[in-house]
Amino acid sequence: MKNKRQLLFRVGAILIILAICAVMFVIGRGHTVYFDNKETSYNGQTIESFYKVTVTVGDQKPSKLSKGDRGMADIMGQKLTMTLEITDKEGDQPHAHKVSMSVPYNMDGIMINIPALMQGLPQDAYMSEFIIETPDTGSTDEEIVTDEFDMGGDM
Amino acid sequence: MTKDKFKAALKSFGLPRLIIAGFLLLLLIMAPFVGADLPTQISNIINRFSWNGILVLAMVPMVHSGCGLNFGLPLGIISGLLGATLSIELGFTGPLSFLAAILIATPFALVLGALYGWLLNKIKGGEMMIATYVGFSSVSLMCMMWLILPYHSPNMVWGLSGKGLRTTISLEGYYIGALAKIGQINIGAISIPTGTLLFFALLAFAIWAFLHTKTGTAMTAVGSNPAFARAAGINVDKIRMLSVIMSTWLAAIGILVYEQGFGFIQLYMAPFYMALPAVSAILIGGASVNKATIMNVIVGTILFQGIVTMTPTVMNNMIHMDMSEVIRIIASMGMILFALTRKTEAAK
Amino acid sequence: MNKNTNKKASPDLFNLVQRFSVPLMFILICAVCIPLSGLSANMLINEIVTRMGRNAFLILSLLIPIMAGMGLNFGMTLGAMAAEIALIFVSDWQIVGIPGMVLAAFISIPISVLLGIFCGKILNEAKGREMITSYIMSFFINGIYQLVVLYLMGSVIPIKHGSIKLPRGYGIRNTVSLLSMRQKLDNLLAIQIAGVKIPVLTFIIIALLCLFIVWFSKTKLGQDMRAVGQDMEVARDAGINVERTRIISIVMSTVLAGFGMIIYLQNMGNIATYSAHSQIGMFCIAALLVGGASVDRASIGNVFLGVILFHTMFIVAPKAGAAITGDSMIGEYFRVFVSYAVITLALVMYETNKRRAKSAAGQQLQAAQDAEEAAGKEKA
Repeated sequence: MKNKRQLLFRVGAILIILAICAVMFVIGRGHTVYFDNKETSYNGQTIESFYKVTVTVGDQKPSKLSKGDRGMADIMGQKLTMTLEITDKEGDQPHAHKVSMSVPYNMDGIMINIPALMQGLPQDAYMSEFIIETPDTGSTDEEIVTDEFDMGGDM
Repeated sequence: MTKDKFKAALKSFGLPRLIIAGFLLLLLIMAPFVGADLPTQISNIINRFSWNGILVLAMVPMVHSGCGLNFGLPLGIISGLLGATLSIELGFTGPLSFLAAILIATPFALVLGALYGWLLNKIKGGEMMIATYVGFSSVSLMCMMWLILPYHSPNMVWGLSGKGLRTTISLEGYYIGALAKIGQINIGAISIPTGTLLFFALLAFAIWAFLHTKTGTAMTAVGSNPAFARAAGINVDKIRMLSVIMSTWLAAIGILVYEQGFGFIQLYMAPFYMALPAVSAILIGGASVNKATIMNVIVGTILFQGIVTMTPTVMNNMIHMDMSEVIRIIASMGMILFALTRKTEAAK
Repeated sequence: MNKNTNKKASPDLFNLVQRFSVPLMFILICAVCIPLSGLSANMLINEIVTRMGRNAFLILSLLIPIMAGMGLNFGMTLGAMAAEIALIFVSDWQIVGIPGMVLAAFISIPISVLLGIFCGKILNEAKGREMITSYIMSFFINGIYQLVVLYLMGSVIPIKHGSIKLPRGYGIRNTVSLLSMRQKLDNLLAIQIAGVKIPVLTFIIIALLCLFIVWFSKTKLGQDMRAVGQDMEVARDAGINVERTRIISIVMSTVLAGFGMIIYLQNMGNIATYSAHSQIGMFCIAALLVGGASVDRASIGNVFLGVILFHTMFIVAPKAGAAITGDSMIGEYFRVFVSYAVITLALVMYETNKRRAKSAAGQQLQAAQDAEEAAGKEKA
């Protein structure tokens, strides 16, 4: 009897740990969001970029984007919440928007085209994956630094 | 009947040793097939054997007297380095500098060995761990010394400041190849450093002969049965001290022989881990924590240096992946672990 | 755990001084070097607080094996390697911040347990030589770690991101950036007092570990470990499974070292893939010994005192060396030398005390036997 209880506890503990891990996987997924204030086209239509956009993600520093600029921010989790202050043309009054969306799990780098987003276009129009090209440095190998003698480095 | 004896012999030989010996055999067989130049490799193995043999030989006295494996080898190596640097500083050149290095290193080895031996006598039972840390402390102490001591020879000090020794000092013009060139035999691509090998044989024979003298047998008695030795009137502490001094002196000579083969004096942190290859070499050769013979030294050094030489070349030619460093670490450390976990004595 | 000291032979003060000789020496060294180094009190305190948060958990993991009589656990490096492997995976899977750390901690557990069991079993085969065996073990497992991280990762073990792989396509780079979780634990509840940043959450976690250790030493398992540490044969006679208890102590220490390494690395902000773990064992053990611990007796107070003294010396020595000789290398070599010398001294003191206790016990036994004989003769 006692062994059965012990086994139950152990299995239960493992299940709890696995559950916590799963939760960590979801809430901890980091993404880098890149936002463009660029002119783009969709279905033949050209969508103009704004004169100036100020993007604030969470409590990070706001990025001021002029025409054609790109900014970036790191987020954790699946939901992206940003505040946009948009000035359509020079001299206009800026109007503020709060945008919230869920980002796909698989993408590391997410590119958002702000003009397309503001037009209310479907997600595949304004969001795309941004893959950083790792340059093929060929055969220049990096030398492995094994700390041979417990000498260098700080503690 | 013979099958049982064979099995018993295999068991006492030990699985790790079999694995290592088998691995080396495999490498040797594969070498010509993967395009590695076998004569050059064999030449390399013989050369490396000649450089390292005496350092491994230094393990024998202390194992015999029950002081365990000499993890404090760096202490003797430092004596040798002092001899080498002082020999150059005092202006000796050519093969004479080798002789001078030996002569100068000897008193250092005797004094340091005596201190080390005194310490080990105080802590019977915990020799190996303390030896390791004595070795480390002395190497790091010498690191400071190499910077401070008033050396002036332009071949040895840093160019810009003129103070403090360089990390690596070339032995060109000094004793590079001092022993190796004596009677060097070249058969095609294989070059045999007869001088060094003869020197090793001389010292190995000297140790073997010593172990058969009265003092030598006393030393073995102290190691295998200290109570009996004491009852027989042997001064255990004195014999242990002698073994430590012998081991330290051999280490000093050993590093000088290594340098003449390698071509450089290596200071600062270089001696730090030098005990480990020597320890694992003798263990691979069949020794244990409390039993070591000259045959163990020879076989072990050949096997160890064989693996160190052959693995990179064969692996590189075969799978273009150089795993040699990792294999060397796993093999040598695994061997030491195996020996430390043996409760009985290992094979001859 | 108090070992019986021979009360007749030496006065209490002498014993006290001997036990605290190492910390006293260090106080002296620091007293000399601090003014020479030119560091302001504020900078020094800031550094010490940071290092306390960074290292205390790791050093606390050494206490349990000492309790169980296994001596200084050089095998804590194994836990450090488990943590590094876990962090490499978490970093590759792009799990950031504190969730990333939690995930890494959980992933490190099975690896630490496996390595701990292996280490514990080998140590059971080498009774009496635990320290040198665990020392060699850390090298051996380092070789296996390099085999996994330098060759298997990226080739056999899938690693998604090329940025952490070596240019040749397999194997992990020299440094893996942990920018995504850098100091997230430290900063979460950090407060600033007089210009000194205090990572409150980290200290809370350290405090929790201290409470755990205190609680654990009172549980049956903890008492078993102390019994095994005192005398293995007596413990065995009392019915304790000595081998199993020893293995458990090593496993616990390895798992805790894994957690401690995660805390250490999140503070550093990057993993020096092939060298981060190699110094850990040595420096943590040196710090513990500097705090007044010995091979068979260590307390939580030793840990904190040790961090303060050892790390002060560590920061101050190179600067003092530079001030005296114009060459900071002397100071760096000096701090390495002092670390090793401290361990050597502690080991020597432990061995000499052990022999003295044994011979004192032998003398007592002899005296008791003589008394019995004399009493027996009288009766007859």
